[in-house]
Amino acid sequence: MSSRYVLRFLALGYLALLLGIPVGLVFVNAFQDGFSAAWDAVTTPEAQHAFYLTLVMVAVAVPLNTIFGVLAALAIVRQRFPGRALFNAAIDLPFAVSPVVVGLALLLVYGSRDGWIGEWLAEQGIRVIFSTPGMILATMFVSLPFVAREVIPVLREIGTEQEQAAATLGAGPMQTFFRVTLPAIRWGVAYGVVLTTARALGEFGAVSVVSGRISGETQTATLFVEDRFEHFDETGAYAASVVLAVLALGTLLVMNVIKPKEAQT
Amino acid sequence: MSIVIDSVSKRFGDFVALDDVSLEVRDGSLTALLGPSGGGKSTLLRVIAGLESPDTGTVEIAGKNATQDPPQRRNVGFVFQHYAAFKHMTVAKNVAFGLTIRKRPKDEIDERVDELLKLVHLDGFAHRYPSQLSGGQRQRMALARALAVQPRVLLLDEPFGALDATVRKELRAWLRRLHDEVHVTTVFVTHDQEEAMEVAEQIVVLNDGRIEQVGSPKELYEQPANEFVMGFVGPISELSGRSIRPHDVEILLEPRDGAAEAAIDRVLHLGFEVRVELTIADGEKTWVQTTRAEADELKLSEGQTVWLRADADRGRELVNS
Repeated sequence: MSSRYVLRFLALGYLALLLGIPVGLVFVNAFQDGFSAAWDAVTTPEAQHAFYLTLVMVAVAVPLNTIFGVLAALAIVRQRFPGRALFNAAIDLPFAVSPVVVGLALLLVYGSRDGWIGEWLAEQGIRVIFSTPGMILATMFVSLPFVAREVIPVLREIGTEQEQAAATLGAGPMQTFFRVTLPAIRWGVAYGVVLTTARALGEFGAVSVVSGRISGETQTATLFVEDRFEHFDETGAYAASVVLAVLALGTLLVMNVIKPKEAQT
Repeated sequence: MSIVIDSVSKRFGDFVALDDVSLEVRDGSLTALLGPSGGGKSTLLRVIAGLESPDTGTVEIAGKNATQDPPQRRNVGFVFQHYAAFKHMTVAKNVAFGLTIRKRPKDEIDERVDELLKLVHLDGFAHRYPSQLSGGQRQRMALARALAVQPRVLLLDEPFGALDATVRKELRAWLRRLHDEVHVTTVFVTHDQEEAMEVAEQIVVLNDGRIEQVGSPKELYEQPANEFVMGFVGPISELSGRSIRPHDVEILLEPRDGAAEAAIDRVLHLGFEVRVELTIADGEKTWVQTTRAEADELKLSEGQTVWLRADADRGRELVNS
């Protein structure tokens, strides 16, 4: 009996110290000058543009990475090809490489003065670095693994019999995918989407390197938070942090609401 | 519709699953593929369905070469050992799947699903999910799903293998009756000789990727083509260098020509059957199956000396032992 309580106390205490208290203090500090001060801080034109830009990142990176993640998981689990193990490991690269390094790597490829293909792109009038496309690429890079990592174990678990059954019943490969495979992995995909969204909302390092941090132009919400903090605008920094946290929590909440009881076991 | 398999071979790496197999399955028949695991029976069934493609040889279904056709074009019903139920669909949606894919009108689908659920005794379960059904119910649902598209042939891969003994017996009898009603050419895989004998009209014995014998249950039991088939489809006991069915040995109380002297070690009463374990004069152990009436009449008891005589028309000479 008592050992069970000790375990609970330890687990909850650890979580509180590491996560609960710091995040709680962000909320407290955001509203230290009252609600209206916090509201004003996150509704300035710069702040609005920063949130808009972050949502653009999410809106592009999440669908593309979801499609890629599902296809990558299918290739890894269902197919045998040379280099499959390498491919599987490569998907985890964004977990292993620091986002700052990712940003610098993107500069080397797309930089308009001495980048690998950046010069050519600049001649065509396409600006990647210090502009939205580069920031989207950075966000996509760092949030790449989540969907694939969530879907791979689910695909392994469901096996191939349902798909074979669908084939014998007359379903072609596309029909089998949309009617049988996708519904079977949908909670893996959903959880991957939530994690991808949270990661895309919170990305700082890589985006910071490629953005050029032009206020009101290439400043995302996380960059806005840092900018406010550096300019001693604590209310602005904390209030924007609260908005980011609420967006991420909201995503989690949405998934838990739409997820039916039977799938929660 | 008939199935003709001609010289089919299939390897998985170094493992030879099927080695030059040829077989004909008659239209409307009920055939069992019987053999030990790894013998090639499931691979053969999957080759017929198009779930595996043979390395060499051809598969003909209803007079048409289907070797290159993908499973969805073969119009076969396939039932898996572990049901392969679509877990996210209700029972009705599962059964309707093949018809939905074929874009049949909704009224027709509903009517057909109702009819099939009645056939498999699952009416009233239409709106349940597979997770709310027992194993036997899931397998009957899978069968209804396979039958919904009016397949040319019905293929079942160890359909009762995952079920407990009572349900298995029930479903066997039921499959037999279903076949009498629906008359679709049916092939099922089993490693259980009793199941094959009870359900099938024709049994194909597969071992090490080769067909050992094809025949009716009676033919296989009474005229096994070789030692393997004899041992696989029924019990054997050995007497004077011959393999013989233990119930084809006569127990005599007095010596006679060609009879071997033996001492009774044990007499086991198993209901109607009585099993007598003996040691022959040359030291070899054997056993004989007899009836309760006969055992009582001969007053068989442990330690008693008797003489054993094999029915001359039955049994086989031992070749390799």
